[in-house]
Amino acid sequence: MIEIRNLHARVEGKDILKGINLSLKPGQVHAIMGPNGSGKSTLSYVLAGRDGYEITEGQVLLNGEDLLAMDPEERAAAGVFLAFQYPVEIPGVQMTTFLRTALNALRKQRGDGELDALAFLKLIKEKQRSLNISDEMLKRPVNTGFSGGEKKRAEVLQMAVLEPVFAVLDETDSGLDIDALKVVSDGVNVLRSPERSFLIITHYQRLLDYIKPDAVHVLAGGKIVKTGGPELALELEAKGYADYLGNVA
Amino acid sequence: MESSERGPVLPPGFYKPDTASPFLALFKTFTAAHDAPEWMKMLRYGALTALEQEGLPTPSLERWKYSNLPPHLKGLPKDFAAADMSVRDPDDVARHLAEVYQDTPDWLTALQGRMPPGHDRYHDMMLWHLSNAFLMDGAFVDIPAGKSVDKPLEITVSGHDGLFFNPRNVIRLGDGARLTVIEYHRGAGKYWSNGVSEIIVGKGAALYHYRLQDSASEAVHTQSTHVSIAEGGRYETLTLTSGAGFSRNQVHAELQGPGAHVTMNALNLLRGTQHGDSTFLVEHQAPECTSSQKVRSVLDNQARGVFQGKVHVHQAGQKTDGYQLCNTLILSEGAEMDTKPELEIYADDVKCSHGATTGQVDDEALFYLRSRGIPERAARALLIEGFLAEVIESVRNENVQAAALGKIREWLKSGG
Repeated sequence: MIEIRNLHARVEGKDILKGINLSLKPGQVHAIMGPNGSGKSTLSYVLAGRDGYEITEGQVLLNGEDLLAMDPEERAAAGVFLAFQYPVEIPGVQMTTFLRTALNALRKQRGDGELDALAFLKLIKEKQRSLNISDEMLKRPVNTGFSGGEKKRAEVLQMAVLEPVFAVLDETDSGLDIDALKVVSDGVNVLRSPERSFLIITHYQRLLDYIKPDAVHVLAGGKIVKTGGPELALELEAKGYADYLGNVA
Repeated sequence: MESSERGPVLPPGFYKPDTASPFLALFKTFTAAHDAPEWMKMLRYGALTALEQEGLPTPSLERWKYSNLPPHLKGLPKDFAAADMSVRDPDDVARHLAEVYQDTPDWLTALQGRMPPGHDRYHDMMLWHLSNAFLMDGAFVDIPAGKSVDKPLEITVSGHDGLFFNPRNVIRLGDGARLTVIEYHRGAGKYWSNGVSEIIVGKGAALYHYRLQDSASEAVHTQSTHVSIAEGGRYETLTLTSGAGFSRNQVHAELQGPGAHVTMNALNLLRGTQHGDSTFLVEHQAPECTSSQKVRSVLDNQARGVFQGKVHVHQAGQKTDGYQLCNTLILSEGAEMDTKPELEIYADDVKCSHGATTGQVDDEALFYLRSRGIPERAARALLIEGFLAEVIESVRNENVQAAALGKIREWLKSGG
């Protein structure tokens, strides 16, 4: 599915990722945990194709295709989805318009026909209910004036509509109370399938109580310094990242 | 430098009385061909004299500093004509102004001769003079008190190559009356449309006035709109400018009675070497009046936009609420926006705010949309549409909203 090989990246002349190796099989959920400044968000942006990151070494393959050679929209068409830590507010563009434009753009790139307004409405009705998203919220401009919880639920809704094969969740749990966390996790769990993989980036273990990972990686100083099972997350929760901070310096 | 018969040689860009002469040369033929009642003859000749002295506006005038009209008039006019105007008038509210002039009511005579608001301050009413010198025809609408006109009045003005014309509209709403007017401006070739609208909004009356200015790309379009609004009355206007090589949309409103309101909005889509100027003036002359000005512009290539907005609160304008906001998206390095929001306040209990931003399409938002599969060009278009949408939503007519949105999408698609 996804194969990250010796990935090095730099931002504004500073090396952030220093040789990441990671491999996810279809259907797997991996978690990446790490202290602040370890390169977690950089990794998510590099995977989604944001400008301003220089790849100095390594490669990323999605089902054998060179992901790093693609534009962000091509990556989305290939099945990559990034749930943003800070979803961007876009005044003047209605949620529904945005979702429909995005879905149809993907369908077009994939060679499927566009959905008409009615078919789209039917599709979205199903998905929004389980995520506790009101019609009113969909009429508002994208993320504009949304609460923290609303923004994260909206991210999961987009994921549910766009149906990626590889989803990266960047600190999706940050700023959520326990009820919102549950709604968001349920939304993710519903999407788990043998064809779809998730990379969950988080600072805290609590999200992993709700979304059970197959593997947990510790990212520190731009490298994966330890890999283990779900028990590794519990250990980190108990002991903190102190053991790994030495590697940074 | 050449010497001039008129007197000392002036530096370039300075006061040039002869800028108007190619147009005034048409005056004799015009008056001979279009006879008029005595009062109108006087008005025409008075205007002619003023123009001979003042010429056309040049950048030496405070409010024309950013907009240099005369160079855009090169090669004009080849001929004078009445404005080619067609009207869709389902409720039968409009008449030809020329018809009304045959037996002019006193109020109309007085209105036509009255100096426009702001005149005493700026002394730059040359385009109004020019329109008076060639005063002839336009739409006349006089809605009696209490009458609410359901269907909008639609006026289409078409320009033709080589012509110079002066559409003149007079709209009066009696107390409590209600009307929507939609103007479409289009045409082909190089021409100059110099419009003047005189508008009176009665007590508690409401006029919604929308203008879609899509003139030919070489055309010059100037519009002066003078509005007086009585107690509790309301005037809302939006001009969408996508046409004309040079355009100026000047709106002056006087809030004359307590609780009167004016909204002056403008959307500008300019590219190539287009120049679009929105110049607004609100006179708060009575207490508890509100005014709002919103201008959003999208500028590409070497296009240039201008916003000059002034809120003038007189001593009587206590509890005024005035708002001005000008936002601009610059799509390429060669484009330029000049913004000048101004407040002048003589009352002590008022709430006035103004702001201006000029920037580029937000990179973060662009990446967000692209990461969802929307190709860059479409993502940009969606962001630009969203930037303009907020002002379109304030339009109280669905057809105008749809037409404006349609124009915006067409403009975005045709971009290079």
